[in-house]
This record gives sequence, C-alpha cells and structure tokens, in this order.
Amino acid sequence: MALTTAPHPVIGTPQRPYRRSAVTALLGGVCAGFAVRLGVRERSVRVVFCILAFVAGAGLILYALLWLTLTRSGEEESAAQRLFRRRVNTPALVVALFATIVALFLLDPIGSSIFGVYAWPVLIALAAVGALWRGASPDERSHLSELVKSAPFLGAGAPPRRTHVWLRVVLGIAFVVGGLRILNHLHGILVGATPAIIGTFVLIAGVLILLAPWWLSTLNELTGERRARIRVEERAHVAAHLHDSVLQTLTLIERAAGDETAVVRLARTQERELRQWLFEPDRGRDATTNTLSAALRALETEIENDYGVTVELVVVGECATSDSVCALVSAAREAAINAARWSGASTLSIFAEVEPAELSIFVRDRGCGFDLDAVPADRQGIALSIRQRTTHLGGTATIRSVLGEGTEVVLTLARASS
Amino acid sequence: MNQPRVFLVDDHELIRTGIRSELAGVVELVGEADEVAAAIDMIIERSPDVVLLDVHMPGGGGVAVLRAVGDARPSVRFLALSVSDAADDVIAVIRAGARGYVTKNISGAELADAIYRVAAGDAVFSPRLAGFVLDAFSLEGRHLEAGDVDPELDQLTTRERQVLRFIARGYTYRDVAVELAISPKTVESHVSSVLRKLQLTNRHQLSRWASERHLL
Repeated sequence: MALTTAPHPVIGTPQRPYRRSAVTALLGGVCAGFAVRLGVRERSVRVVFCILAFVAGAGLILYALLWLTLTRSGEEESAAQRLFRRRVNTPALVVALFATIVALFLLDPIGSSIFGVYAWPVLIALAAVGALWRGASPDERSHLSELVKSAPFLGAGAPPRRTHVWLRVVLGIAFVVGGLRILNHLHGILVGATPAIIGTFVLIAGVLILLAPWWLSTLNELTGERRARIRVEERAHVAAHLHDSVLQTLTLIERAAGDETAVVRLARTQERELRQWLFEPDRGRDATTNTLSAALRALETEIENDYGVTVELVVVGECATSDSVCALVSAAREAAINAARWSGASTLSIFAEVEPAELSIFVRDRGCGFDLDAVPADRQGIALSIRQRTTHLGGTATIRSVLGEGTEVVLTLARASS
Repeated sequence: MNQPRVFLVDDHELIRTGIRSELAGVVELVGEADEVAAAIDMIIERSPDVVLLDVHMPGGGGVAVLRAVGDARPSVRFLALSVSDAADDVIAVIRAGARGYVTKNISGAELADAIYRVAAGDAVFSPRLAGFVLDAFSLEGRHLEAGDVDPELDQLTTRERQVLRFIARGYTYRDVAVELAISPKTVESHVSSVLRKLQLTNRHQLSRWASERHLL
C-alpha cells in the first residue's frame, strides 16, 4: 500500500512523509504537499515559491526538480523513478543523448539568433516539461489535462476550423518570437524586473497558443479512451458478480414468495455473501479455510441455511485447525443443530475464544430449555455424543439448561503449551 | 422515565420509514435528516437526547456528524446504526464518541431498549462489539512493550473481561448480573468503563488492529 499523508494541512502540525498533493494541487502539488508536511497554509508556501522564482529563477528550478523527484500522494513512484524504470534500453539511451547534444550544438547558433541568451533555458524548460509528462502517472496526466482544459481562452471550445488553426499558429509564433526578442533586447539595455516579466508572459502565452490544440486533442483521446475502457471493464466485473449472486437470489425469493422461512434464509445467505464480497474481499481468496474462525463461519452458514435461524458468531483470537480443534468444532456443531432444531429460538449465539492455554466454544440459545434429568432417550443421546466427543479429546463439556430461559453448551479444550 | 427525544440520521428513506414505525409511541422522534450537513445543523438546533446515526453516508459519514456535534453539543448521545460489521467502521464510530453500536437487522424492541440505555448514559455493546474489544485488548497486550502500557487505559480488568465475555456469549446485561451475582447497575458501569478505555486508549495500536483484521 502506498504511504499517503492527509490531503489537507493541519496548521501547526507537521506531517510525514512529504508527498506531492493530489487533491489540492494547482499545478504539480509541490507547494500543497509542502504545506501539509510543514503544517502551514498552502498560500504561504505558494507565495514563497513565487518570490523565489524571481531570484534568478531558483523557485522555478526548485519546483521542477521537486515535481520530478517527489512521489505524488497515493502513488508508489516519483516521475523520475518512472522515467528511469521505463528506459531500460541503455545503448538507445546513450545514442539518443549523444544525438541530442549534437543537435543542440548545431541548433545553438540558430536558437541564439532567435532566442538570444534565453535559448538554453527554453530548451531545458521544454525538456523538463517533456520529462514530467513522460513520467506522470495516468491519474496525474488526467489532472494536468483537466487543468489545461479549464484554462481560459484555451478551454474546451477549441474551434476545429482551418482558418482558426492557422490564425492560432501564426499568432502563437509571433508571440513567442516577439516575447523572446523583447526579453533579449531588454537583457542588453535594462536589468529591471518589470519589463522582463511582461516579456515572459508574452512568451508563455505564445507557447500555449501554439501548442494547446494539438496537446489537448491527443490528451483527450488518450485519457478518454483509457477511462472509458477501465469503466467498461469495472462495470462488466460488477455486473457479472451481481448477476451471479444478487439477481439469482432475487429470482429465487420471487418464486418462494409464499414460504416465509425460505425467503428469510435466501436473504440471509445472500446478505452474508454480499457482505463478504464488499467488506472482506481478500478473505474468499486466501487459504484461510484451515483456521478456527473459517471453520466456525462454515458452521454458521450451514446452520443458517439448513434450519433458518440466525446465528450470531463471535470469534476472539485465532488458531489453526488441528484434529482436536476440528473435533471440538464438530461437537459445537451438534450443540448448534440441537439448539436450532429444538429450542424454538430464532437466534443462537456462538462465541469462541482462543487463549494461550485454552480454547473455549459457547453455544447458547434463549429458547425453551429442557430438564437435563428428564430428557427423552434420543435427545440425551445427542447430549451424550457432545459430551463423549469432548471428553474423548481431553476437554470438558458443560450443558446448562433452564426451562423457559434457554440452554448453553460450554466446550473447552486445553491447548498444547507452546 | 420520560420518553427520550430521538433524532434519526440515515440516507436511506426505506430504513428511516422502518425505524420510524418501529419506534412510534416508544420514543419521541424530534426530527430526521438524510445527509451530513443538514443533520449537524438540525441536531445542534434541536439538541435531542439520542441521535440514531447511520455510519455510511456520503459526505464524511456518521463520524463527520459525531465530530461536528460532539464539540457543540456534548450532551447529545449517539447510537451508531449500520449494516456493516467491518471492524474499522465499528472502532471508528466508537472512538469518535458513539456510546454504542447496533446493526440494522436488530428488532424494534431491542433497538428501543438500546436507545433507552444510551439515553441513560450507559453503553450498548452487541456481542460482536464485545468480541472486537476482547480481541483488540488481548492483542495490544501482546504487542506492547511493558513500558508502553498504561494499565489504567490499555488493559481491561478481570471483571470487565468477564462481563464482556458474557455479552459476547449472547447474555443480556440482566443475565450477566445474575451470573456474576452483581447488580445490573454494576454491569452497566463496567461496560461504560470499557467504552471509556476503548475511546481513550493508546491510539494507533487499536486502529492498526482494526485494519489487520480487515485484511485478514
């Protein structure tokens, strides 16, 4: 299971571990995650990063690095880990790296003539964005695409007409080149911050306008298709299960509408199954059938199905089944069947407790009870079979019954000292 | 005793209807809500004796209501009501302050009995909850270092253990009193003390236990 911190900062209480926030993220969730980790307001962290961004871009570089290397809340790996895990082909990686360096050097004069001193930062930034995208998890990608979609002007209604596309491309390129020109020019003359900020915004606007439609369309197709597929698979899985279980039972209940006990029994069985499927999905698959609680659950099911009474089962502690434990459960089964058949009570309780030295099972009903000294021979036989079975194991069986108040059978067995 | 004033919180109309008809004339129903936010406002406004609280609801569930109302109206008592027997759910609502936990298939008479008990300030332990507690506290004893144990809070007394065992076996409080030759009031005080320990005891051990059980 992935380690996950709380989604919201608790003011004054630092929380570990430091994860990028998935819930309150504006961009990568770096600041929100920081806020949770330090126990301060998200806004304060964001302001600090914004200020740092103007200190020679330190904030931006720090943000990008944290984004790449920190694990997102609820996930197992960071973007960087994912990137490197995926690229196992080392020769290809080396060749690609070499080619990139050569290309960069060849392009450098061209880049410099257009972008001036900003050529390298622009290239690095593009590479960082590419790396982030490659390393992002599907969930984070959909978050980012939602982000772009909700941005004003770029948003959902990207017009598909040709003229618009051309207009967009030309405008975008103009903005990018213009922005960089302004920046480059200013770099020589002015060192003031304000014009540079304006230039940067013009530049960003240009890049976004240029790339947005293409980016959006591929994004939408990919995430949309994948989401739809996952949804269909999940739906089919749930539908298949519900059909096999609940729908079948409902049909049976409809048919058995006249028979009250049958309806109750069917409903109880289905309830138990569904409950197990919903709340204890692992229990069915695991090989836990050789434990005491599994044996008693099987007994519970059997009694409820065969006799139409409700069994309230409580197990404290757990142990593996041995021959003697199985025999004790069989004795408890006799007692439970007895209670279900003769007591007239609609509910019976089975309580089992595993202690270091002893295993006890209590079977109790609040039914009619019987006089132990004056029972018919056949029922005494059953009582005897419970007693004999247990004493044979070296355990004890106590039967207490009060007329009109109910019966309790107590079975105990000493456990082999460990 | 006067009829307790009861408020009902459940997001299922069918369940509310059923409970309403079962409790008609037995308790005074002062209102009902089908979602967390409305429930919090109305409970604070009407200040009932007992709130019957569904554990699973959209918007934070019963625990959210318990947390919000617990601070504003500490006199309101809560009885949790759920279809789920999952250990985490039970432990979560009890630790958030509920004074008892019953499942929805409980009979009308038993439910009314539980409400009166909670209204009187006692705790309502079903056999299943008693089993959870026995299990949790025995496991804690095994896991904790000797120095970590606060005997006041992290361990049950022998008597409390005996009482819980009887409840887990399906005995009523009255039966337990007869068996142990003590008064029903004493049984109730033992159970309340167990509830207090369950709510205050050393924290994560218990939730870890609950999640372990859930994954078992």
